[in-house]
Amino acid sequence: MVLTLTVNGDHRASVADPVTPLVDVLREEFHLTGAKPVCREGFCGACMVLVNDKPTPSCLMPVALAQGSDIRTVEGLGSGGTLTAIQAALEACDAVQCGMCFPGMVVTLTHLLATSPEATRDEIRAALSGNICRCTGYERIVDATLSALAVK
Amino acid sequence: MSDISATMDFRRRDARDKLRGRTRYTMDRYLPGMLHAAVLRANVASGRIVRLDTSRAACMPGVRAIITAADAPGKIGIGIADHPLFARDVIRYDGEPLAAIAADTLTQAQAALAAIDVEIAPLPAVLTMAESLAAAAPLVHPDWPNYEVLFEGGAREGNVAWEATVVRGDVDAAFARPDVEIVESNFRVGRQNHVAFEPRAVVATYEDGRFHIETSTQVPWTIRNATARILGVAPSRVRVTVPPVGGAFGLKFDLAIEPFAALLARASGQPVRLVNSREEEMLTCLFRENADIRIRSAVTRAGEIVGREAVVLMDCGAYGGEQIFLTTMTAHTLGGNYRLGTTRLVSRAVYTNTAPNGAFRCCNGVYCTFALERHTDEIAARIGMDPLAFRRHNVLGDGDLGATGQVFEGNVLGPMLDRMDTLREAAAPSRKLADGRLFGRATTVGTWFVFVGPSAATINMNADGTATLVTSGVEIGSGSMMQSLPQIVAGTLGLNPDDVVVRAADTDAAGYDAGVGGGRTTVSLGAASLSAAQEVRTKLLKVASEMIEAAPEDLVMRQGRIEIAGAPGSGHAIAEVATRAQARFGPVSGTGAFTGAGVPAMPGCVAGHFIDAIDIPVFAVHDCDVAVDPETGQVEVLNYRVVQDVGRALNPRAIHGQIQGGVVQGLGYALHEEVTIGTNGRVCQNGFETYRLPLALDVVPVEISLYEGAPSVGPLGTKGAGEVPILNVGATVACAVANATGKRVQELPLTPPRVLELLLARNGELGHPHIAEAWVDNLVRPHGTAAQDRK
Repeated sequence: MVLTLTVNGDHRASVADPVTPLVDVLREEFHLTGAKPVCREGFCGACMVLVNDKPTPSCLMPVALAQGSDIRTVEGLGSGGTLTAIQAALEACDAVQCGMCFPGMVVTLTHLLATSPEATRDEIRAALSGNICRCTGYERIVDATLSALAVK
Repeated sequence: MSDISATMDFRRRDARDKLRGRTRYTMDRYLPGMLHAAVLRANVASGRIVRLDTSRAACMPGVRAIITAADAPGKIGIGIADHPLFARDVIRYDGEPLAAIAADTLTQAQAALAAIDVEIAPLPAVLTMAESLAAAAPLVHPDWPNYEVLFEGGAREGNVAWEATVVRGDVDAAFARPDVEIVESNFRVGRQNHVAFEPRAVVATYEDGRFHIETSTQVPWTIRNATARILGVAPSRVRVTVPPVGGAFGLKFDLAIEPFAALLARASGQPVRLVNSREEEMLTCLFRENADIRIRSAVTRAGEIVGREAVVLMDCGAYGGEQIFLTTMTAHTLGGNYRLGTTRLVSRAVYTNTAPNGAFRCCNGVYCTFALERHTDEIAARIGMDPLAFRRHNVLGDGDLGATGQVFEGNVLGPMLDRMDTLREAAAPSRKLADGRLFGRATTVGTWFVFVGPSAATINMNADGTATLVTSGVEIGSGSMMQSLPQIVAGTLGLNPDDVVVRAADTDAAGYDAGVGGGRTTVSLGAASLSAAQEVRTKLLKVASEMIEAAPEDLVMRQGRIEIAGAPGSGHAIAEVATRAQARFGPVSGTGAFTGAGVPAMPGCVAGHFIDAIDIPVFAVHDCDVAVDPETGQVEVLNYRVVQDVGRALNPRAIHGQIQGGVVQGLGYALHEEVTIGTNGRVCQNGFETYRLPLALDVVPVEISLYEGAPSVGPLGTKGAGEVPILNVGATVACAVANATGKRVQELPLTPPRVLELLLARNGELGHPHIAEAWVDNLVRPHGTAAQDRK
């Protein structure tokens, strides 16, 4: 059985078992390694992708359920060599340390920027509660989000 | 000489690709023809292997290689070589590797694991240190006397894997003085999981008789040497390279899964990738060890500490590993904050049938500081002295002696306490934030150190005016490799830091390095890099002096040019000089090496120590306010302040990031994170659902003040800054919660149930029946006597 997925605007075929987690198909078949399967329980957010514009942990979604949806990974955000507003803000605020959680953070915050232009510090923290970072202590990430919202 | 101020606060060059998901960590690597590996692990805490038959598994689809104990003859360890790659005949912990398989796909490898026929006869297990130290306890390593000793000096007996002692002065006489109060405190802490986001991962190949290991590690040279030892080959047969590392915190300071992949690559003739599952990481990571501590002090009414003794039991799990080395740290983390008239300390690494423990950011220090600072508050309460005044009166200053008789230089902690007073007083009153809950505040001090050790660096000057820095240093996320080192090199050579290429670690290309950890990167690799850059500078200035017809000492290197001092625009671009030098004398390069000279202890003062005294002490003062909900036991940290001794801050932005992150990791240790061992010997927290990490909603912004100017032998006066921020978070929160509740806090983490028990006085006082009442009865060997006769 061949599954058809729309990933970052491209139609791609997968031969994976339909119950395979989406993150594994993205990584192993399509070599889109931005999404990281860190906890595989939907708690950490490092594998977050946009499914029809909604942040979704790709470790919990069987690939068969992703058929027919518009899937966007961190690799599909921005264009060419440019950074998106949130990526640029995270870079400018020196928010990145080991970086493993950031592809998922960027996906979550991309959604936040699009849907909550008035978000407060506490609302940003709440929006990030599904994305765990072990390195930074979060504050720079919140600062960067506020500055990206201000630019917007 | 070098103008570092021109390149302060250099931004991270590796942020862009990390933000775009383009960075390829080890777990993201693919090679053509690559196989996938999986490891079979024991599911009993203690047992004898009756049968291990891989013949059925070998016939499974896709299987290319299977390895077992027969393929890995050596044992590794620190101090004692007690750790084989696979359990051989005997299983010592739940999760111990039994065999590994490489197959075309991971699913096939896992299916084949299930086809290995294993029969294990369970044996009695010791799961706690109390059980392990009991008179009739089964021995975790009955054949210990036959193991190779790699470092002489530690005492051992029964399940005590290593014992390190400090004795300075006549402690008995101090405790017998009529004018002292004797204060005794007991503490217990559980294990903490690093939860590095990238699990331990490796890709190995075997070509031309050599292993190439790409791995997520902090210690490429340790991996090279230890893998060779396990495999029984010469170390030069192993090459280790390191892609960007997705978090480590000490987890990746020891050999882990590399030899499995290496052996499977040799056996199959194909590249092999092995990535630990999250469950494997949760169950078998080299946790921050659990510890039991008794500390006792003799203190005068005027607040002088005339005698102190302590017993620290550190659970090393089934194999000694780094715990044996870490017994050394107690002398400096318990004995390095305050002036002590006399002292005696013993720290014992104790074997149990549990997963091995290892290094974790400020290893040993976080719980010794917790114990020491809570004990300090109990002393102050007993003699009726303000705890802050007591600290100010007793912290180490210039010329004071540490526990091992080391003489400290400079007054650092005292002025740092003053700095904290200023910060605290400037802040808005926070008591009202407690909003009716129990309010508590505390200030603590902490002493850590830079683990110096050897480092090497080479700089190749390129004809295009850039410089390539070649070291065995690894970027684990702190920015030391991507920010501090380029700043040091660029400052010395008058370049933009972007024009310093940082070569990824490769043991074939760069000299030995003790590893990225212990706060040593900027210090040791920085000093080696500075020295290499100075050699390059000297060579370039010599060539330039001929070109410009000016003496080298009249030239400066700045903004990519070599010019006559005071005459901007004179001279030549560095690229021109480098090109000329290359044509006339050959390519320009420089090398540098560095290591700590080592500070001696007072003669006869220490036994069984790997380091007698500390090369570069680093101090910290922390302060926080908490609110405790008496109904739920929930602790909220209202605000947090840090004054940290950094020597000299090359990159304050990076240091601030480390402090915020380290404090939050410490808040996890203080409030949420706890690894427990079930009655079956298995770690109970196998994922993020059961192991509670700090979330964005749990944290507060940390108010930070960097204290500069304390003495340091680090390059340009630097000290390590990334390790220290976690040091006294547990202590500070614990002291604040004790002040809020009026209860004796003796354990971490302060989860709501534990705080409620404290408030309701449910559990009574913590005691340690397995720690003998008389200090000397806790020793295998009386302090100062010769190494034991190993029968």
